[in-house]
Amino acid sequence: MNDPFKNLKSSMEKSIFKDFSFSNERKNAVREAIRTNQQSQYHTETIIAILESVQHESKDGYNISVQLFQKNERAFQKNEGQLYTLLHLLENKEMLTSNWINNKKYYSLNSKGKKYLATYKQDSTKQGLSLNPFIREATL
Amino acid sequence: MKELNQLAVTDEMMLDERDQIIDQLMREYSDDILHLVYTYVKNRTIAEDLAQEIFIKCYEKLNQFNRQSTIKTWLYRIASNHCKDYLRSWHYRKITLSNKVFDHIPSKSKQVEEEVIKHSEENNLTNAVMNLPLKYREVVFLHYYEELSLKEISKITSVNINTLKTRLKRAKELLKDKMIEEV
Repeated sequence: MNDPFKNLKSSMEKSIFKDFSFSNERKNAVREAIRTNQQSQYHTETIIAILESVQHESKDGYNISVQLFQKNERAFQKNEGQLYTLLHLLENKEMLTSNWINNKKYYSLNSKGKKYLATYKQDSTKQGLSLNPFIREATL
Repeated sequence: MKELNQLAVTDEMMLDERDQIIDQLMREYSDDILHLVYTYVKNRTIAEDLAQEIFIKCYEKLNQFNRQSTIKTWLYRIASNHCKDYLRSWHYRKITLSNKVFDHIPSKSKQVEEEVIKHSEENNLTNAVMNLPLKYREVVFLHYYEELSLKEISKITSVNINTLKTRLKRAKELLKDKMIEEV
């Protein structure tokens, strides 16, 4: 018996798919989206570095940035404002807690933040995965 | 493609490496994916939007790709699931479907256009396939247009191979009925 679908490919190519291809503009739009995604992506290490910087004592934003700089964490270099956005987000996520002393906001680790830090040190690969959805949210 | 698969399995992929993989996937498969999406949504602009989203999704999920399948079947699987999600979405059901109602209100120019399309030989088969219920259309398209094996289709759709065979057979019967109807 003849296969009724034998000519399907040529039939579709000549009809609904005629002049229908994924244009260069569309491809560039994908590349553009990927680029934006990369720029605003925080690395797990950055978040961990922030948590570590306040694990023993509470610090204000400026001192955190100094400590990050000493640790060679350059994610916020020339872009310091971004650090405060991330701090705010970590606070919203209840990883950090804060209080105001002399018009400065001091951050310290919350129990949730301590837990994150502890599990990260225990098993860095696993933690990297479970932090991912959180990092994604941080990029929004 | 072998080279591509190897690229994709390194655990800590560099960002620009992931870029390259997506670029390569687009070069190789973007039209196939676009056409696949079209068979689900039957609208060119929506198909282009969804295909674009699919490649971005691939980029984001590239870390989760494991070697259990080829990167090609993995890409198709993401595409197929993305389309099905879209068809289930609130937007599609409420907005797109209600717009379709307008399509059914007869307008002369449209009718003429459709008549012309219908009468060309070439389009008969295409139209018949596009009007098949989704589960048949899907397997027919993947097998005959994208030229994938049943084993690959099974991986993409998570449907058992024997079920796929039955669906192909049933699709042929449906097609025959349709052709007889038209004659």
